[in-house]
Order: sequence, then structure tokens, then C-alpha cells
Amino acid sequence: MTETLLDIVQQLMNGIMYGAFYALVGIGFTLFFGVMKKFNLAYGSTIMAGIYLGLIPLNLWKQPMWVVFVTCVAGAVVVGFVVEFACFRYLRKGHELAPMMTTIGMLILIEDAVVIATHAAPFEYPNIFGDESFELGPFLIRPDYLAILIAGVVFVVLLYLLVNRTTFGRAMRAVAENPAVSQLLGVSVTRTNTLTFALTSALGGATGYLVAMTFGALQPGIATWMTIKGLVVIVIGGLGSIPGAIFAGLLLGVVEFQALWFLGISYRDIFAFLLLFAFLVLRPSGLMGKAA
Amino acid sequence: MDYYVAVLSIIGMHILLGLSVYVVAITGQLSFGQQGFYAIGAYLAGIGTALWGIHLLPAVLLGMTAAGVMGFLVGFPALRVKGLYLGVATFGFGEIVRLVFLNVRYTKTIGGKLVGPNGAEGFRHVSYIYDRGFTQAQYLAVIYTAVIIVAGFVYFLERSKLGARFRAVEEDEVAAAMAGINVTAVKVFAFTLGGFVAGLGGALFVHYSTYIDHQMVTLPLAVSSVIYPMLGGLGSFWGAILGAALLIFLTEGLRFLQEFRLVVYGALIILTMLFRPRGIIDEAMVLRVRAFLRRQVAPSA
Repeated sequence: MTETLLDIVQQLMNGIMYGAFYALVGIGFTLFFGVMKKFNLAYGSTIMAGIYLGLIPLNLWKQPMWVVFVTCVAGAVVVGFVVEFACFRYLRKGHELAPMMTTIGMLILIEDAVVIATHAAPFEYPNIFGDESFELGPFLIRPDYLAILIAGVVFVVLLYLLVNRTTFGRAMRAVAENPAVSQLLGVSVTRTNTLTFALTSALGGATGYLVAMTFGALQPGIATWMTIKGLVVIVIGGLGSIPGAIFAGLLLGVVEFQALWFLGISYRDIFAFLLLFAFLVLRPSGLMGKAA
Repeated sequence: MDYYVAVLSIIGMHILLGLSVYVVAITGQLSFGQQGFYAIGAYLAGIGTALWGIHLLPAVLLGMTAAGVMGFLVGFPALRVKGLYLGVATFGFGEIVRLVFLNVRYTKTIGGKLVGPNGAEGFRHVSYIYDRGFTQAQYLAVIYTAVIIVAGFVYFLERSKLGARFRAVEEDEVAAAMAGINVTAVKVFAFTLGGFVAGLGGALFVHYSTYIDHQMVTLPLAVSSVIYPMLGGLGSFWGAILGAALLIFLTEGLRFLQEFRLVVYGALIILTMLFRPRGIIDEAMVLRVRAFLRRQVAPSA
């Protein structure tokens, strides 16, 4: 009995730490939707391309890991601008599904471009925290998972300050509320949108760096995986809600880890999607979303 | 020759997938879960011929019906959500179906071979058509008979009052409801129909390839089945047919580009959406073609 209880708590801790990553990806999607009112399904591949670019200074010039981190962030921002230029800037207005399709096209394009560039071989991603778990009472804690949780808290605090305490943050909230009126009041909608792209991409690059590290190896399929997780999180949390994305991310992490431990790997994903279905049926606007 | 027969067979089955997305899309619902119905159709029809030894036709009907019933059931929760939510929800449904088939084991030893859905191993030896001496070309005729029947059905659907109701629901749900259209019935019916058509595609596919496993019904299949009608055009069912034919010919024809094929594929989707957000055969083009045909029929008028 106590064994089971210990397992439950252990998996709860793992789930929360790992859920922080889901929450961060969800925040990226949800911020983007909040400001632009459009979906960027190429977000996962933006992150993936960024962390692949981060490998260049490591593998070619043997640079230290902080350079890799900076390259990941910068790379994701550059790819984010490419996505914005190709998929959003020249798109005609009034077609709700068109940005979904262009970004799906971009998802396919970027993934294949990376496959070509790397000859589809997985790359090793060095884990700066090592793979030694440390003990905390009866529980084992993986340092890289803990790093995700700490980074998650730091990023969320920074994001909170950025959104609520800076001019750019105020512009972002204004555009999210009403783009036409913001424009009239002197807020450049184009500039705000571009900066939002840069912000979400940078957040993605930083998150992706940590995730690639916990995986230990990097392959292009990570883009699709992150896209699916991010979408599940924003649907559960409610579109455009940052607190919703945080709670939904943690919830998804906890459910997945419990299901993984007690039922096995193929049931983990079934439970993730059943959770999604339960929310869609019982609470379609999500945890924190406005009523539809 | 065999190569072209194979390409045409695949196009035929993907046309069915594209049409199944199309009939749902013209009620304003974009489904990323048609591969789930495709899988249900494939597994059940395969079980029918390979394990129970029944004739191809009832087996295909069984697969179709099961997928249609599932479509009916999915239609109800799908009513509550729209846009991306619906996309994610339907994709979630497709994944649940895939993961269920990943865990299902139901096998028999027939003629020294282990036949039946066998978890991650997939469903092997659905050799009905080859055991009975069908050639690939004959089976191609079977596939296209199905395609013509379904396309004919959709053609008449589009010209019927029901088709007008489908379009009205897409255009404006509230206005449609106020005009006395039962929005719930229309949407659920569209999903049921989509389930039937995708199930038919899957049932034909499993007999063509003799094999299916859970990895064949993942996100790439969901994405391509949505891309066919979106790229081909939402103005008419010809859009889904054009989209499937064009994209498969392209991926086959561009073999000389080798690994760059998917880059071209992605770029093509982006460019089409930039210039024609409703696809190649959009509503404006349908109207122009109809006007043109009318002039041809009555030149003096």
C-alpha cells in the first residue's frame, strides 16, 4: 500500500516537472493565438528547426553549451520570421482555415528540410545536468526534469512581467483585445504581431533546448510531437489563456506519468486523448477559456 | 504498366478519403480524424474476409457500416466545438482508434500463417483478392466503381436540398437554424457520411495492400486527406478528386527530386493558399464554369 502511494507521489512529481514543458509549449501557442487570432501549426517545427540550428556551433566548432542555448533561441526566432513571412504576411483576410493550411505546409516543408540536411540521422544532444538522479527522501528526482520546472517558473515570471509591466506587453494586450482600435490609438499592429512572433519563437527555442536535452537525442519527429502536445494543452486550458495553458500542461503531465507507470506506454497516449475528449464534451471552452 | 495501375489504385482510395473530408467540410467542419474511420473500415473488412472467410462485398459493407456508425457517434461531441478545437478533437479520435488497434489481438492460424490484427505487428495476410486470382487491373476497376458511386452520390447531394442545407450551415449556422434547418441533424449526418466514405476507402485499401498497421493511420494521412479538398478546392466535389490526383501524381512524378519532394509539396500548399484560399476549384470558379456550360447549351439565348 505504502509502495503504491510512494509510486503515485513519485509519478506526480515527475508529471509536474515534465508538465512544465507541456505548459511552456502551450503558452507559446496560446500567446500567439491571443494576439493574432490565428493558429500557427508550424510552431512545433519552428522550435525543432531552432534546436537543430543550436547543434551547429556545438558540432562544428565545439562551442560551450551556453552558446548552443543562445543559438537555439536565435535560430528559432529567425525561423519564426520565415514562417511569419511565408504563411501570414501575404495571406488574404477573412479565410479562417487558410493560415492553418499554410502553416501545415510549412510544418511539412521544415521537417523535410531538416531531414535532408541531417540525412535523417538522429543527433546526440548533450545533457549538461548528467543522468544521475538525486534522492529527496524516498523519491528520485532527475536534475534535467527539475531544470525544466525551474526554467518554466522563470519563463512564466518573465512573461508575466513582460505582458503586464512593459509598453510592448500593453501593446500586445491591446491588439489582442481589439486590433482596429489599437491601430487608431497609435499602436502598430504589424510591429506588435512581428514582436509576438519573435517572443513566442524565442520562448520555443529556450523550451526546445531543455527538452532536447532530456531526450538526449534529437530527431525531426519532435516537431509533430510538440505540435500535438501544444494543441492538446491549449484546448484543455482554453484558447488564449496563459494560466489555462499552465494548469492544462501540468495536468497533462501528471495524467501521462500516472498512466505510463501504472498501465504502460501505449495507454499513456490513450489517456492523454481521453482527457482531451472529456474536456471537449464537458467543458468545451477549456479550463480558463471564455464561454464559447 | 503495373506501376501505373498501382498509382491509380492509390489515387482512387485517396480520392475516397478526400471526399470524406469534403462532405464534412461543406458543413463548415474540418476533420482531422478521417484516418480513424479509414482504419476501422480496413480492420473490420479485413477481419471479414481473412478471418471469417466471407465474400468481399459484405466484408466491405461491414467495414463501411462500422465506420459510418462511428462517424454518427463522433458527430455528436463534435457539435460542441468548431475550427481548430474540432480539428484537435477529431485528430484525438483518430489517435484513440489507432492506439486501440495497436493493442487489439485477434488472430487465428489459417493455412500455417498467423492471420488477424496482432497488436503492433499489424494485420497481415488479407489476401482475399489475390487468393481468388483477381489481377491488379481488375481490382482497380473495383476501386473506381466505388469511387464513381461515391462521387455520383456526392454530385446529387450537392444539387439536392440537403446539399443546400449543408452549405447554409457552413455559411452561417445561426441564420441556417433560423431558416428552419436542423443544424444538429445536418452536422451529424455529414459526419456519418464522412465515416462511411472513409471506411469504404480503408476497406478497399486493406484488400489492395493485404496489410495494415497502426503506423499507416497517423498524422501524415490525416493531413494529406485534409489537404486534398483544401488544395483542390471546396467549391465542388471535383476539388477533392483533383487534389488527390494532383498531389499523388506530383509526389510520384517528382521522384527525380528525390528527398526534396516534401519540400515542394509543402511549398505548393503554402502558395495555393496564398493565391487561392478556398483551393483551386473554388466557388467563383464553379459559378464561372456553370455559366460557361449554360452558354454552350443555349448559344442563342
